[in-house]
Amino acid sequence: MKPELIEALGRIVGPRWLRHRRAELATYTMDGLPTRESYPGVVVMPKTAGEVCEVVRLLHLVDVPFVARGAGTGLSGGAVADPDAVLIALGRMNRILQVDPCRRRARVEPGVVNARLSEATAPHGLQYVPDPSSQAACTVGGNVAENAGGPHCLKYGVTTNHIVELEVVLPDGSTTRLGSRQGEPWGPDLVGLFVGSEGMFGIATEITVRLEPLPESVRTMLADFSTVRAASQAVSAIIAAGIVPAALEMMDRACVAAVEASIYAAGYPTDAAAVLLVELDGQTDAVEAEAKTVVSLLQERGARTVRSASTPADRARLWQGRKKAFGAMGRIAPDLAVQDAVVPRSALPDIMDRIEEIRLSYGLTISNVFHAGDGNLHPNISFDRRDPNVAGRVHDACRDIMAACVAAGGSITGEHGVGSDKIDYMPSIFDAETLGAMRAVRRVFDPAERANPGKVIPLHACREWRAARGVR
Amino acid sequence: MTSTAAADPLAPCVHCGFCLPACPTYLATGDEADSPRGRIVLMRALERGELGSGDAGLVQHLDACLGCRGCEPVCPSGVGYGRGLEMARERLFQERGLPPLARAVLGVFRHQWLWRPLFALARVFRATGIPGLLAGGARAGFGLGMLAATRSDVTLTPSRGRGKGAYPEARPLRSALGNNGDNTTHPTVALFRGCVMDTLFGHVHHATRRTLEANGYRVLEVSGQVCCGALHQHAGDREAARALAAENVAAFAASADYIAVNSAGCGALLKDYGHLLGTAGSQAMAAKVRDISELLADVGPRAGGRLELDVAYDAPCHLQHAQRVHQAPLALLRAIPGLRLDILPGSDRCCGSAGIYSLLRPDMARAVLDDKIAGIAAAAPRPRLVTSGNPGCLMQIGAGLRAAGLDIGVAHPVELLDQSYRAGGLYQ
Repeated sequence: MKPELIEALGRIVGPRWLRHRRAELATYTMDGLPTRESYPGVVVMPKTAGEVCEVVRLLHLVDVPFVARGAGTGLSGGAVADPDAVLIALGRMNRILQVDPCRRRARVEPGVVNARLSEATAPHGLQYVPDPSSQAACTVGGNVAENAGGPHCLKYGVTTNHIVELEVVLPDGSTTRLGSRQGEPWGPDLVGLFVGSEGMFGIATEITVRLEPLPESVRTMLADFSTVRAASQAVSAIIAAGIVPAALEMMDRACVAAVEASIYAAGYPTDAAAVLLVELDGQTDAVEAEAKTVVSLLQERGARTVRSASTPADRARLWQGRKKAFGAMGRIAPDLAVQDAVVPRSALPDIMDRIEEIRLSYGLTISNVFHAGDGNLHPNISFDRRDPNVAGRVHDACRDIMAACVAAGGSITGEHGVGSDKIDYMPSIFDAETLGAMRAVRRVFDPAERANPGKVIPLHACREWRAARGVR
Repeated sequence: MTSTAAADPLAPCVHCGFCLPACPTYLATGDEADSPRGRIVLMRALERGELGSGDAGLVQHLDACLGCRGCEPVCPSGVGYGRGLEMARERLFQERGLPPLARAVLGVFRHQWLWRPLFALARVFRATGIPGLLAGGARAGFGLGMLAATRSDVTLTPSRGRGKGAYPEARPLRSALGNNGDNTTHPTVALFRGCVMDTLFGHVHHATRRTLEANGYRVLEVSGQVCCGALHQHAGDREAARALAAENVAAFAASADYIAVNSAGCGALLKDYGHLLGTAGSQAMAAKVRDISELLADVGPRAGGRLELDVAYDAPCHLQHAQRVHQAPLALLRAIPGLRLDILPGSDRCCGSAGIYSLLRPDMARAVLDDKIAGIAAAAPRPRLVTSGNPGCLMQIGAGLRAAGLDIGVAHPVELLDQSYRAGGLYQ
């Protein structure tokens, strides 16, 4: 990175909010996925949309790439920059600009932490529904970039279903607004296009979200099973009965053991092969009726016990265990590869068997914690990188799991995004023509492909790239 | 902690980032280099030799850690951040020493003949009332505010400034013990006096003694005790901490059933003496150490007279995170009839005092404090007092309240209980 550019960036954000010393950059080399590592050229921490705009405009003029980053809790290596790129950290833009209870809207800066938003709206009887497990730390801006999910997205939809308007800085430094506060798009759904674009289309500097009323009644139940297959079948049975729970989550024995050893111990039975967390919400009568049905379905499918959270504190405890599960994996081994894939719900029992086979064949530790209700798997592979033979096995196991999910009619990511971690799997679900079309859309926003370069779309698989190289 | 964690306390970190929102310095700067996860990266690089103690970037961000350990109770993997920091700071201390100001301050605390006269002078200056008058938001004014905050703010009348001489420091008392006559059945408690507590917070020691006796403990004085060494330990000067610890272990050997501490920072290290010295004597002493709130909560404490006050509790980091004591101070405060206890949002977050941190890094310390003061100012009803069981927190929050022009005092919880006992006629 040229000293003149560093100086010019410092003039925009103030020298205090620029990091370029090696040690400081070391703290930005990874996001929540420590297997992808890279030093950014420089880190800038703008405080206002105006500063973001000026930074991006400058980078456009000097043709330098950039990557936006929230709290760095993403799990696909998406918010990591190479040495030739500027990392724009948005954590300081953390103001909730407006909460409008009448219209059920909130307007926030991108660095607002997800959980803080629901805390701020709760006194109005409202909530921001998408609740990724990292919600205590992750930012709304990052959620927009990744189209983040979360346990409660089963019933209420993912991030894109809750964003109505965006102010974005495009890769050339110009500012534009997408969508409308009323929530009705004028013309094409550009908000829908932007949400989940993983930082390739620009940086959202102001986000207007839809708020939902807090439900009148909530019932959280914990069921445990002696086989993973039985638990998987129970999931399908609940959905087949026409019930859409607010959340329907599964954890296997290894995951439960890690959680129960942590300070987030929730009282999950450690001898069970799998536990299900089922949450129903809505009007009291309806919740009670559905709860009866769910309990009998769970029991029919072999649940050993089903218990309901009796108090809000008990309910919070059951959820804390689930939401902090991935962070507790350090109790198993010092390194962790978190995977994210989707299969049709009906394929769950077989895919869980297949993951177990893969685990055994590579001699690895895999624990599963996932959004069972929508078939969104998170196999966590725990390993110790000091073991010289392990990296290859972890990589191969991930590849085999992905292949199995794709073969079952699924996809390579449910909510963590492609980033750099999944980029090699893209050709397994998209042909060269489709990838080429994605790239063409990218170039509408960013002809020079300077915004989060090298992520999401594998260039070598694109038709035009192949043509240019005379592959074929 | 897992077995891997015992050997390498930072090993369980899987980089999830769940610690970020619990870190006061990250909240103040939004910079991941000032977050626990970022500092773990730095500490690991230091340990592996990839970055050295001469690296200004590394040193700046490791020095900027408050050591509050607020990240530990939110870590799902149980990363031993405090232990890791202790090892990193020790390494930095050995390789580059300390900055001059830190060296001077820590040097003073090593010798009673230095700190006693200095704090005695400070007390004289405090008694003039000048620190209270000149307290303000600028650096010097804030320092004076810290000194002013060491004076007792607990009075039965609502206006501040009457604290001085409202009650004599030592009074004869008619306690449970005094009426009983049979001293042998009462558990004995040796009072750890400390340095700042013994000189600037003498009134808290008196309150500690009276409330313990009123609850059936027999309080003993132990001579030969010195500063606990926590400030040295936090700065990485393990040898100085060990020397002080050894003196205390010798002084307290076989002294009593319990050792009472009313300073959370001291208590955290005293409970860790076994780890610091590794001797049977140090382990035996550490096992007897209790925060004053623990001893009182264990036996009730008995109720006193009414104290109609709005009080906000602020949890010292070294009580809640390092000692994992949460409920005892609340039980103590709830035993006071009429007292309306409020636990404000952010009351579990560090105030920025952190031993001598607020002297060495005043800007960050103030940035960390500002949110807390804003929260107290916005509270409805506004508290009359903020209460916290650690001298550094009382001084930092007290100075911050004065700097913000708020007529809100600070007090140790045991002072409030003492006042309640006085109002209830438990003392003669």
